[in-house]
Amino acid sequence: MLAIPTACPFCSCGCGFYLLAREGQLVGVAPSETHPVSEGRLCARGWSAHEAVLWGDRLRQPLLQRNGKQESVSWDEALDHVVGRLKQLMNAGKPVGVLGSSRATNEENYLAGRLARAGLQTNNVDFSYHPICRPLLAGLEEVCGKHAPSIHLNDIASSQVILLTEGNLAETHPRAASSVLKAVEKGAHLISVGYRKTQMARLASLHLQATPGNEGEVINGLLAAVLDLGLQDRTLVPIGYDALRRGLETVKKTEEVRQAAEWIARAERAAFLIAPSCGQGDQSRKDAAAFAKLAAITGHLDRSGSGLLPLLARSNVRGACDMGVVPDRLPGYDPLNDARSRQRVQDLWDNKLPPAPGLSAENLLEAVSGLIVVADDPPSVVPMGQRAMAAMERIEFLVVLDAFITPTARIAHALLPITSFAETEGTLTNMEGRVQRLRVVTDPPGGARPGWQVLAELCGRFDAAASFNSVSDVIREIGQAAPGYARMEQRLSEDGWGGVLLEDLDRAKFVVYPTGVTAMAALTSAERPYLLAREGAFDWSHDPLVSFSPTLSRDYRSERKLFPNGFVEIGKGDADALNLSGGRQVRLTSVHGESVVPVRVRTDFKPGLLFVPYVFRDRVSNVLGADGVTTVRVERI
Amino acid sequence: MAFAIEKKAVTKWLEKLLESGEIVAPVRTPCGDVLFSTIRSAEQVVWDFPNPLHPPKEFVLPQTDPLVKIRRNGQHHEVEPIHDGTRRFLFNARSCDAKGIAFLTRMHEMEPADASYLRRSDNLTVISLACATPCPLGFCICTDSGPFLSDSYDAQLTDLGESYLVEVGSAKGEAVVSEAQSLFRTATEDEVSQRKKLEEEARHYFGEETCHFASAMRRISTGRVPDTLWEKMGDWCLECGGCNLICPTCYCFSVKDLGRDGTWIRCRLRDSCQYAAFTLEASGHNPRAQRKDRMKRRFFHKVSAQYYKRDGAVGCVGCGRCIKVCLGTTHMPAIVGAIRKGKWHE
Repeated sequence: MLAIPTACPFCSCGCGFYLLAREGQLVGVAPSETHPVSEGRLCARGWSAHEAVLWGDRLRQPLLQRNGKQESVSWDEALDHVVGRLKQLMNAGKPVGVLGSSRATNEENYLAGRLARAGLQTNNVDFSYHPICRPLLAGLEEVCGKHAPSIHLNDIASSQVILLTEGNLAETHPRAASSVLKAVEKGAHLISVGYRKTQMARLASLHLQATPGNEGEVINGLLAAVLDLGLQDRTLVPIGYDALRRGLETVKKTEEVRQAAEWIARAERAAFLIAPSCGQGDQSRKDAAAFAKLAAITGHLDRSGSGLLPLLARSNVRGACDMGVVPDRLPGYDPLNDARSRQRVQDLWDNKLPPAPGLSAENLLEAVSGLIVVADDPPSVVPMGQRAMAAMERIEFLVVLDAFITPTARIAHALLPITSFAETEGTLTNMEGRVQRLRVVTDPPGGARPGWQVLAELCGRFDAAASFNSVSDVIREIGQAAPGYARMEQRLSEDGWGGVLLEDLDRAKFVVYPTGVTAMAALTSAERPYLLAREGAFDWSHDPLVSFSPTLSRDYRSERKLFPNGFVEIGKGDADALNLSGGRQVRLTSVHGESVVPVRVRTDFKPGLLFVPYVFRDRVSNVLGADGVTTVRVERI
Repeated sequence: MAFAIEKKAVTKWLEKLLESGEIVAPVRTPCGDVLFSTIRSAEQVVWDFPNPLHPPKEFVLPQTDPLVKIRRNGQHHEVEPIHDGTRRFLFNARSCDAKGIAFLTRMHEMEPADASYLRRSDNLTVISLACATPCPLGFCICTDSGPFLSDSYDAQLTDLGESYLVEVGSAKGEAVVSEAQSLFRTATEDEVSQRKKLEEEARHYFGEETCHFASAMRRISTGRVPDTLWEKMGDWCLECGGCNLICPTCYCFSVKDLGRDGTWIRCRLRDSCQYAAFTLEASGHNPRAQRKDRMKRRFFHKVSAQYYKRDGAVGCVGCGRCIKVCLGTTHMPAIVGAIRKGKWHE
């Protein structure tokens, strides 16, 4: 039996385990006590990580669509065709683009970015989870600079205070939830901000009730209460401090908020955990900024043992950002218009970069004629899934590189089979900024090739300067393009588990100017008295790593079987008032339109709210439009 | 009957056994963990180690366990059992793990007997290494499964400094000694009494983890654990299933076919009764939809008098793995303690 140490491919906690293989086939997972994040613990997803690789619908041969059917072809034929068709489109002046992926490795993402920018001469490069986490990352960046000083997952366990704005931490990031539990067990004050009494909220010392899209209001209350306490001597005065003070003078503070603020301000070690919210983009950005300001002015961003963690869904969101798979960023997450970084990348690639930022994922899908999708299924990830699928169906030439047969792979004009996480070398960067190795455990099925190899080949065919013979070549070049990743290979091999924590090379001074809050709840009216919110920011049930795993897909599947038309959740009080029982259909009407959908009755949130789980968001897309929260009328039918 | 083998002769013994089968033993990985693994050479085996987190039950009841091959043949299907008949020697299993395997074997021998499991366990020789120093989180002293064993092993080794005392507990144990007879000698009386002394001493070295099963058993078996307590405890579980997956005595599974090109391999997959969908029925009904119900079920199975009577032991060998692996805080000693005291985190 082989036991190969590797990084977990699911969420961005970045656990590690041994993949077990017998006779060339994966058979299971063994935990590691020495892994710096896991310390012997894994969540249900980690324990079943081998299953999707084994049970998944795997791509084995390159396929080209001919006469409405995907037919097997040789690698040479497939690559020739892909290059030929893309060049044709480019010569005709049609827009093309590339989608990297937060489930692809750093090396795959880096090459996807290079292929787009140097090969296809476009900045139309993004990844499908980016629209969801972009406001959160932008808000944090406003205050902290490129990356907020992060707390290590294991340090959370010894925090005295934890402030958590969550979707549902126990489900989204069980490893982070584990540290929170250990801290609470030792007596830490957990302050949860949210609209639902989740498992974490039930264990919290204080649960600060928010309405969907309005978490920022609570955070601003906390900020104001902390400012009342005065700056603790332990922090440098951040830029904009006085303006912030003045801006928040009139904010009302409840007793609970004052108590929470006191805990936060007086704690030696505090952890700030923030999940992407369902609010409108701009409001989410402001909320995230307010959250970071709170951490900054209480001195928790410049002391060890304290810090902030954005709760990103997939394993390599941070990596995809760092590799510059973002329309307006270069490798190193540097802005596209930053002259020094631009020069660095241009010199390295020996190629002039297109100047204007490209289109973001949602717009890119709508606009391009030719698209390369690397290891992703955008409709299952982006907020408007059906619209993304319809857009992709209209694309003239769609190339998909994936290990699994996903809905996107099924409509591809060219399908290039690549390795799964268990069959490739490469690295992932978790939400702490920890770079970890993936290792080859088994051979890929059929003729599948390592993703980096296929992308390197494509890069070479468009761009003569690109030449990569091994994954090490790619890692070395990443080190030149993104300074934080310099000498990565040597640094990785020094550690048994191969983990390297990235350091923030250019730490900025914190900026805390005030920003306003739009109260969503205030927008409800007699005509539309309810708030409908899209809940959650990611749908694991459609991720191939879950959907192909017999153990992990069970409960999701049964939920979809029981509710083939999806559902929205309604509070018990509201359900009684409207004479609704579970399964009953309601008509929801908003400014955007209407939808008919069954309800599920819940008791863990306040009246006036309705939630649609992320997986069923398309069932109410007429009502939500492009919004994450909207006011609605509810009628029993 | 007890034998002794000089430490310097152990390599030869292992080499001899490698000629007739596979040796599974604790091996140190480059990352610093110790894992039970098949070895290629005697030097790989570690002799001084805390009990590996991943239990050796993997070699009798693997996480993915192919049971039968199903092949389409015209209008019919041919079904062919898959038996793993490899002769295996499990070296340096700690006492708790030897007890765990004996527990699993008793369970799988019950009618209807599990041929796939039994083929593996019949071919497995368990050579345990008695624990002169108990592991920091172990509480085998509370479950009668260590630190030294008087049964459940084929051969039990005790480290006597220059040599190992080898106690033989079965015909399979006798065979591993007789196959390399020249390396062994009969143990002296002094060596046997040294072993007894080590066992006595080991009992004094236990850490703080204890598990008072008797009182918890009385309460669980007579339904005297309030629902509110289960509910409270349920909030501290993150449903990772780790407790089940690494437990030396857990054997719950689900079944899934792995199909390709007209052939299917029916596999038994290790499963967890703590997963919400474990008991989900086809109708959509779930008799244990809430976490408190699943937790109650787990501890009823592990600790109730009903199962104690059937299995002759609690469903726990005190290895302490669930303490390390639990993503929440609901491991065996914590729950048993809470049930005994009737309170949780108060």
